[in-house]
Amino acid sequence: MRVREGAVLALFLVYAWPFFWQLLTSLKPEAELMVLPPLLPSRLTGEHYRAVLDQSVMLRALGNSFGVGAITTVLALVLGLFGAYGIARYPVPGKGLLLLLIVAGTAFPQIATVSPLYLLMRALDLRDTWLALILANTSFALPLVIWLLTGFLQEIPAQLEEAAAVDGAGRLRAFRWIVLPLLAPGLASAALLTFLFSWNEFLFAYTFTATEASRTVPVALALFPGVFEVPWGDIAAASMLASVPPLVLVIGLQRYLVRGLLSGALRE
Amino acid sequence: MTGGGQVPSLARAQRRARVRGLLLLGPALVTLGALTLYPTIWVCWLSLQRRMPIFGVNRFEGLGNYVFLATDPRFWKATEVTLLFTVTSVALELAGGVLAAVALRGLHAGSRIALSLLLLAWALPSVVTAKLFEWLYHPTAGLINFALGGIALNWLGDPRLALPGLILADVWRTLPFVAVLCYARLLAIPADIYEAAQLDGAGAVATFTRITLPLLGRILMIALLFRTLDALRSFDLMFVLTGGGPAGTTETLTVYAYRSLFQAVQLGLGSAVGVVVFALVMLVAWAYLRALRRQGLAA
Amino acid sequence: MGVLLVALLVVILPGCGRSRESDGPVVLVLKHAKILGPVDPIPRLLAEFEAEHPGVRVKAEVLPWSSDEQRQFLVINLEGGRPGFDVMMLDCIWVPEFAKAGWLLDLTPGVSRDELSAHFPSAVEAGTYRDRIWALPWFMNVGLLYYRADLLARHGFSPPATYAEMLEQIRVIRAAEGNARLAGYLWQGKQYEGLVVNVLEGLWADGTSLLDAEGHLFPDPGRAEQVLRFLRMLIDTGVSPAWVTAADEESTRRPFGNGDAIFLRSWPYAADLFERRESPVRGKVGLAPLPRHVAEWPAPGSTGGAHLAVTRQTRHPVEAMELAHFLTGPRAQRAMTASGATKPTRMALYRDPELVRNSPSLPRIHDLTLAGRSRPVTPYYVIISTTLQPELSAALVKVKSPARSVADARRRVEFFLRDLRE
Repeated sequence: MRVREGAVLALFLVYAWPFFWQLLTSLKPEAELMVLPPLLPSRLTGEHYRAVLDQSVMLRALGNSFGVGAITTVLALVLGLFGAYGIARYPVPGKGLLLLLIVAGTAFPQIATVSPLYLLMRALDLRDTWLALILANTSFALPLVIWLLTGFLQEIPAQLEEAAAVDGAGRLRAFRWIVLPLLAPGLASAALLTFLFSWNEFLFAYTFTATEASRTVPVALALFPGVFEVPWGDIAAASMLASVPPLVLVIGLQRYLVRGLLSGALRE
Repeated sequence: MTGGGQVPSLARAQRRARVRGLLLLGPALVTLGALTLYPTIWVCWLSLQRRMPIFGVNRFEGLGNYVFLATDPRFWKATEVTLLFTVTSVALELAGGVLAAVALRGLHAGSRIALSLLLLAWALPSVVTAKLFEWLYHPTAGLINFALGGIALNWLGDPRLALPGLILADVWRTLPFVAVLCYARLLAIPADIYEAAQLDGAGAVATFTRITLPLLGRILMIALLFRTLDALRSFDLMFVLTGGGPAGTTETLTVYAYRSLFQAVQLGLGSAVGVVVFALVMLVAWAYLRALRRQGLAA
Repeated sequence: MGVLLVALLVVILPGCGRSRESDGPVVLVLKHAKILGPVDPIPRLLAEFEAEHPGVRVKAEVLPWSSDEQRQFLVINLEGGRPGFDVMMLDCIWVPEFAKAGWLLDLTPGVSRDELSAHFPSAVEAGTYRDRIWALPWFMNVGLLYYRADLLARHGFSPPATYAEMLEQIRVIRAAEGNARLAGYLWQGKQYEGLVVNVLEGLWADGTSLLDAEGHLFPDPGRAEQVLRFLRMLIDTGVSPAWVTAADEESTRRPFGNGDAIFLRSWPYAADLFERRESPVRGKVGLAPLPRHVAEWPAPGSTGGAHLAVTRQTRHPVEAMELAHFLTGPRAQRAMTASGATKPTRMALYRDPELVRNSPSLPRIHDLTLAGRSRPVTPYYVIISTTLQPELSAALVKVKSPARSVADARRRVEFFLRDLRE
C-alpha cells in the first residue's frame, strides 16, 4: 500500500505545513522574514506577538468576538430549542413547509441581506455595536440551529416523554430530566457550530463595525495596519491568535463538531 | 354518549397542542421573519430603486438596475468568474475529499491527528486562510515560489494566475468538509465487503470504482449540494485575498455586489446584484433537489 | 435558568448601544491620520493650543492607515449622526462629497479673504464647495518627477522637458550603464487612487481632462485611449518594469532610493527621505516638473493633500473652529514641516530660512506646486475614481483594450451619475 502511505504523507504535508509556516513566520525576527532560503530562523522572537498585543486593537477584537459569539450562541440556542421542540413535538400547521423554509434560510446568501440589514442598523442607530452583529449572526445561525435540533429531537422517541407523562411528570419535567440529557450532545454540536460561525463571520462584521469598539477578530485581521510595508510577521502572530478558538474547538471537541457536521449533512 | 363526548375534547386537545406548538415556535419565527425574511423582501424592493445614502438620493426606478446589468460587461465577467470558481473548486474538493477519506480510512494510528489537521483548516476564519495564502503566494518571500525552485511567479498580481491561486486556497479550506463526510461514511461500511472484494481478486482501482464510490454516492450528492451553494455565495476569501483583482479576474458576483453597495454607494444596483446571487442560489438548490427527488434519494 | 438568561440580557443589551457623553471641561476630539516623519508634531501642538485656551482639552485619535479605511470610518460615523469627534482630517478629494452630504460645518464666516490668500490657490479651491469654505488646507502635495542628477549629468543631459526626451535619455543611460537592474521610469500603476492620479496627469499632458464642464467622463475618449496606450507602451518596451502595475508610492520609492531607477514620478514626501544620511542616492536626486507630451502644452502635476474640517454636529463649534484655525495656522504648519514629512499649504513657509536649511528642495517644490492642478473638485469624485480604478487597471494589465476600458468606464459613470449634476 505504498500509494496510500504516499497519499497520507501528502495530506499531512499539505495540511500541516501551512500552519507550521505561519507559526514560524510569527516567531521569525523581522530582518529574516523576507529572505528565502533559509527556511528556519536563526532564533525565535516574541517581538511580533508583543507588537500585536501592545496595540490594544487585537485584544479588544478578541473580546468583541468572544462576547458576540457567546451571546449569539445563547440566543440562537434558546430560540432554536424552543422552535425545534415546537416543530418536532407539536402538530404545528404547515410544519413541513415551515421546516423547508427554515432550512432554505440557511442557504440565503449574506450578500443579499447585507444592504437591507445595513439600512436597518443605520435606522436603529446600532452601527458599531455588539447588538448589530448579534442580530446579523443570528439571522443565519438560527435556521441552522433549528434544523439541527429538530433532527436530533426527532431521533429521540416521543414515547419517552409520554411514558413520563403517564408516570405523572409534567411536560416540562419530562423535558428537563429525560429529553435534555439525551439532547445534550446535539445541543453541544449546535452550540459549537454556532460559536464557530459567529467567530469566523466576516461580511456583516466588516460592514457594521467602524471602530475597535465592536470590531471582531476577522475584521481586525483584514484591516491590519501597516505603515510602509506589509508587516507579515505581525499579521502571522495576529492570525495565530485568531485561530486559537477554532483550534481549541477542533482538538477538544472534535467529536461534537463532526457530529454536528454529519447530522446537518445527512438530513435534507 | 361516550363516543360523542370524547370527540369535542379531543379536538380541543388538538387545538391546544397546536397553539402550544406555535407559541414555542413563535419567537424563533418572529426573529427569522425580522432578520431573514423581511430583509429578503426589502432587498428585492431596494433593487428597484436608485438609492445613494450619502447624497440622500432615494427614487423608484423600476427595472432600471437590471436593464443596466443585462448589458454590463463587469456583471457578466463576474458571473463568469463565479461559475468558473464554483465548478472548478467544487470538482476539486469532491475529488480531493474522496481520495483523502480513502487514504485516511486505512490508517489506524494518526487518523485522529490527520482529522484534526483537516478540521482545523476548515474551521479557521477565512480571513486567516486568506492571510496565510497571501503570505505563501508572496513573489519573493513566499513558500510556494520557493518550493517551485525560486521562480518569481506573481500569483496574486498576474491576471492569469490569480484565479487559480484563489481556487487553490478555497479547495484547501473546504476539502476537509467533504473528506470528513466521506470518512465517516466509509467507517460505516463493514470491512467484510472489502475482504470479499479482495478475495475475488479485485485491484485497488476496481475496489474503488465498484464498491467505494457507489457507497459514497449519496453523501457525495449531499456534499455537492452544500459545497455548490457555499461556493456560489463565497465572499470572504476573494475579498481579502485579492479584493477581486487584478483587474476583476477574481471578482465574483458577491464582490461586485459589495463594491457597488459600499464603494460606489449604489445601494440599488448592489441590491440588484445581490438578488441575482440569491436567485442563482435558490435556482441551483431547487434544480438539485428536484433531480434528487427523481432519483428517489430524497426523503 | 430562564430568569438568569433574561437578567443577563437585560444587563448586557444596554451596554451594546452607545455610551453616554459626560459633562466637564470642553473636550474636543481630533481625528487624524498618522503624520509621516521621524517625530509626531501633533502632541506638542495640541499642548500649545490647550495652554492658549484654558478650559479646553483636545483628545487626538489616530485614523487607520489606509485612505480607504479612513474614509469608510468617517462615512459610517458621520452618517450615523453622532460622530463622536469634532475636528477631522480629510483627504482633499473628500471635502466636496462630505460638504454636499451635510456633514461639515460651514467655515466661511470665520475665514477672511486675506487668510485664504496665504495658502496655495488650488488648496483653497479643494476646500471650497458652492462658494463656501468647508475645510481649511493643512498640508500639500504635488506630483513631480524625481531624476538621478548624477546619471543625467554624466551624459550631459538636463531634466527632460518632454516624454520623447525622457525615453531617449533612458535609452542612452541604460546602454551606457550596462546595469540590468536599472529601471527607466517608475510610477504608480496599482489599482487604487494613485493610478487615477497618474492617468490624470497623462490626460492633462495630452491636452484633455477627466471631466468636462458638465461632469461627464472622458470628454475626449480618443485621447484618453491614447494615454492608456502610452502607459502600456512604457511597460511593453521595458522602460518601466512590469511590476509597476502593482506598485504604489512606497514600492516605487524604495527601488529609486536604492539607486535602481533613473526616473520616478512621486510626491514631495520622498525628497527628504532621499537626502537622509544613509541613503544611497543622497545628493544625487533632482526634482523637475513632469515631462510634457508636446512642448507647448503644460503638464501640471496633480496636487493633493489634507484639509481640516469641523463636523456639523459638534457641540463646541467655536472651540472646534479655533482648533482648526490653529492647526492650519503659520506656527503649526511650520512645526509640522520641520518635524514631519509633510509640506505646508502656506506659500510663505517655503522661503522660510530655517525650513529651507533643513529641506533645501522646498523652494523648488513651491514652484512645482504653484504650477500644479487639483483633481476635479466634485462631490462625486470618489465614486468616479473607484469606478475608474478597475477599468484603468484592466487596460494596463491587458485584460481589456484601452478602447473598451474607456467605453465601459464612461457607461458606468453615466449610469451612476445620470441627472445628478451639480
